[in-house]
Amino acid sequence: MSENTVLKIQDLRTYFFSRSKQVFIRSVDGVDLQVNRGETLGIVGESGSGKSVTALSVTGLVTAEPGVITGTIEFTSNGVTKNLLQGLEDFVTFETVDGRIMTLEKDNRGWQKNVDRLVHRIRGQEISMIFQNPRVSMNPFMTIGKQITESIMLNTAIKNAAEATDKARYWLEQVKIDSPNLRLENFPYGLSGGMCQRAMIAMALSSEPSLLIADEPTTGLDSTIQSKIVDLLVELKEQVGVTTMLISHDINIISRLADNVAVMYGGSVMESGPVERILAKDDEYKHPYTAALLESIPDEEHIKLKGHLKAIEGDVLDTVNIPDGCRFYSRCNRVHAKIEDKCRHTEPDLREISEGRLIRCWLYLN
Amino acid sequence: MKFTSIRPIAFTLARELVITALLLVGVSFVVFVILYSAPGDPFALLLQGQVSAVQNSGIHDSLGVPTTWYGQYLSWLGNISTGNFGTSIRTGLPVLAEIVRVAINTLYLTIGAMLITLAVAIPIALMSARQGTTAVTWPLTIFAYVISALPVFWLGYIAIYISTHKFGYFPITVGYSSSKSLGFIPFLLPIAVLGLGNGTISEVVRYLREEMERVFAEDYIRTAVAKGGSIWKHSFKEGFLIPITQIIASKIPFILGGAVVVEQVFNWPGMGRMAWQAAQDRDYPIIMGVVILAAVIVRMGSLLQRVVYVMVNPRASQE
Amino acid sequence: MRKYRQESIKVVDFSDLPFWKKTDRKDLIYVGYGLIILTLVVVSYILGALQFLPHDPQEINMDLLMAPPGTAGHILGTDFMGRDILSRLILGIQAYFLPGLLAITIALVFGTFVGILSGYWGGHIDTVVNYFSNLVDSFPRLVIILLVVAAFKPSMFFIMIVVGITNIPVVGLLIKDKVLFLKQKNYIEAATALGLSNRVIILKHILWYNCRSVLIIQATLGLAEAILIESSLSYLGFGVQEPVPSWGNMVQAGSNYLMQGNFWPSTAPALAILFTIMGLHLLGDGLNNILEWKRGS
Repeated sequence: MSENTVLKIQDLRTYFFSRSKQVFIRSVDGVDLQVNRGETLGIVGESGSGKSVTALSVTGLVTAEPGVITGTIEFTSNGVTKNLLQGLEDFVTFETVDGRIMTLEKDNRGWQKNVDRLVHRIRGQEISMIFQNPRVSMNPFMTIGKQITESIMLNTAIKNAAEATDKARYWLEQVKIDSPNLRLENFPYGLSGGMCQRAMIAMALSSEPSLLIADEPTTGLDSTIQSKIVDLLVELKEQVGVTTMLISHDINIISRLADNVAVMYGGSVMESGPVERILAKDDEYKHPYTAALLESIPDEEHIKLKGHLKAIEGDVLDTVNIPDGCRFYSRCNRVHAKIEDKCRHTEPDLREISEGRLIRCWLYLN
Repeated sequence: MKFTSIRPIAFTLARELVITALLLVGVSFVVFVILYSAPGDPFALLLQGQVSAVQNSGIHDSLGVPTTWYGQYLSWLGNISTGNFGTSIRTGLPVLAEIVRVAINTLYLTIGAMLITLAVAIPIALMSARQGTTAVTWPLTIFAYVISALPVFWLGYIAIYISTHKFGYFPITVGYSSSKSLGFIPFLLPIAVLGLGNGTISEVVRYLREEMERVFAEDYIRTAVAKGGSIWKHSFKEGFLIPITQIIASKIPFILGGAVVVEQVFNWPGMGRMAWQAAQDRDYPIIMGVVILAAVIVRMGSLLQRVVYVMVNPRASQE
Repeated sequence: MRKYRQESIKVVDFSDLPFWKKTDRKDLIYVGYGLIILTLVVVSYILGALQFLPHDPQEINMDLLMAPPGTAGHILGTDFMGRDILSRLILGIQAYFLPGLLAITIALVFGTFVGILSGYWGGHIDTVVNYFSNLVDSFPRLVIILLVVAAFKPSMFFIMIVVGITNIPVVGLLIKDKVLFLKQKNYIEAATALGLSNRVIILKHILWYNCRSVLIIQATLGLAEAILIESSLSYLGFGVQEPVPSWGNMVQAGSNYLMQGNFWPSTAPALAILFTIMGLHLLGDGLNNILEWKRGS
């Protein structure tokens, strides 16, 4: 682990159990990720690919059961590295059949208690989060000002209410909200979605975190407001420069903000690398899923020629029935006879094929 | 509180006051209809000598009582709105004074009982909302069901039996017990019995637990936890304060109803016992007064609940 | 420790799972217990109506006063006049069963009507319905019943009409919520778009498909309420009068002996009330958890 790494996730698994169907929903199924200091890691994928659950798992905010079951989450700040899932294997026992977890026992309360202890003073202080749907993610019973000052007083050296209010005003100015003084007294109810999201960003930054997790920051907003929020995030990235994990299904946002990108599909990372390589259509290495994802971006020329948008064939992976082989096999258009047997029966590893470039595909593993 | 936010709140409260007034008129009309259709023409009796000269100008019989139903209703409504509830048939004393004399005992009993109900139900609800169904919370929930299904009169007798035989005092009435040294303890017994046995504990547990669980799952609670805040602090208003006032307001009628029985068991000189006696004697003015006063208490509880809701919830005045 | 178990690797059709696997075991226990109690009540009611009792409930036996439960011939013992407690408990169900059904019917029929009116059409109708709901809710039930008792000296059926009326707002509010929920889901709009008439939508799609579980749950809770009102009134001396047995007047009649340490004549009917009301509450809540869970998740 290099000194520059802020967050390193290895083999993270977060499952949910559907009581009515008596099956595990393997929402996050062996995720490996790394976020380096000062960079923005974009996580992209369709809905249901486990992006948001990964983010929630990092800060111990998964509430549905059984939740996180295995993995390591190493978080570094001020030169100290801490595994946020340290010693938690004691709370979980499981049995596997054909390499797949079929029976699981978890002491959810003991686990949650330990997670809360491990992330205490990290959640909020070191890792801040921005969520989607800002209007329901802000406390409707507290003024914007109170919510931001609470965050400041909990997580920074400022313990004086008046000073904290000044600081809150400063952050509201930073996120370019209209009339910040008035907004301090407003309840979220009276604000538009865009203003709420600005306030939410101000609140997240006000604790001066070493890692910011932005979980679909533009989802749930009007499209004109979306682009303004993205402009703001780009500007803040230049000014404040906080290490960020940006989760989005929108490739445009990722391309504008991210330095590195991880592409997720069906609960695991398919490929990762620098943004310009991953998003370039003509790169030397390209996971078929990423290629299909890029194809599906509205493209004027394509619409002119064919008269419609291109979609990825097939359905999004059902995270209940995860296949034995490659997760993307059933929708992949680049399988050829030589590797088909492997694609169908053996899952490829996520392997580094060139500097900083990891890919999980049999096409490139020989 | 800023000036800009006061106006909608004041408007909402004014509206609630008007609604309460309209409901109280409705209450009086329901009481009137029930008694007007009762055999024996109780209203003629009630209004004798009570009708003023101004009201006397309409169609009246020889005793000065209006003969039409609306005439009787309006003159009665005029009387009760000035606090004239008539005189008790049994004692000949003014009804309002009679009721007010004992109302304090009932208030004391019901408020105490409400506190006991909440003191039992809230910890169970909070524990099961936070921990889910566990080896501790499940038996507690079943306990709440058992307590709520107990007939309150039997519980009262058992309480009296235990206090008499095991602790050697007999709780007779307010201000008196067979053992002077025990002080206020005898008064606690009826309160505890009504608090436990009013049959609402399991409902209170269920409602509060569901509300808390719903609020715990809200996105804004997740945001609060993500910034290192306290889940209790952020869920307090929506998950606790609003449901609790809702519970208090909606359970007042049940506790008042239970008070009728408990006052009977303990010979507690309150409104419930007075109503029971009046029902025995068909002393209409008294029971009418009790019904109306009870309805006023219920409406005041609701009004208070709405006030708290409007004050707490910034969205309420826009609804 | 909580255990999660997936039976097979490939799960294709979830609807094949038996319902007890999908529901919480706790709720199954609640409903199971409640159903046992309900069956006992119904069977006992029929036995009582047919006068098919172990003993004559009015037969006084001065040689066997206050026999403890388990006495030969009197499995639940005898009361202070030597009357068979089991027979009197069974006969006591007559006091509330049919009147209770009347109360339930009134509450369900009018509550549904009122709920549909205010939910489906809304507007001024909703305002009026709200006013009447709040009006009815203003009266503590037992207190308004005392007024009715004083005015009419009524029978239990008449009293249960009042109970039914006071329960109309409870049912009405639940049905209204349900209708509003369906409206919000565009369920009704879709049905209207298909060309279905209002009557078909209301009767079939709202009431039958979506409200029947609510109504069943309210019926069980209504029966519990009827028992509570009947036993309280009989205890207060306004309901069923001695020597006709009712659970409430049995507790009252036994209470003098309770003070002397003879618990059983008073406790037996109290336990009958306890187990029955608890069973009905658990049945209602358990059914609510099982049948309405889709709405929550």
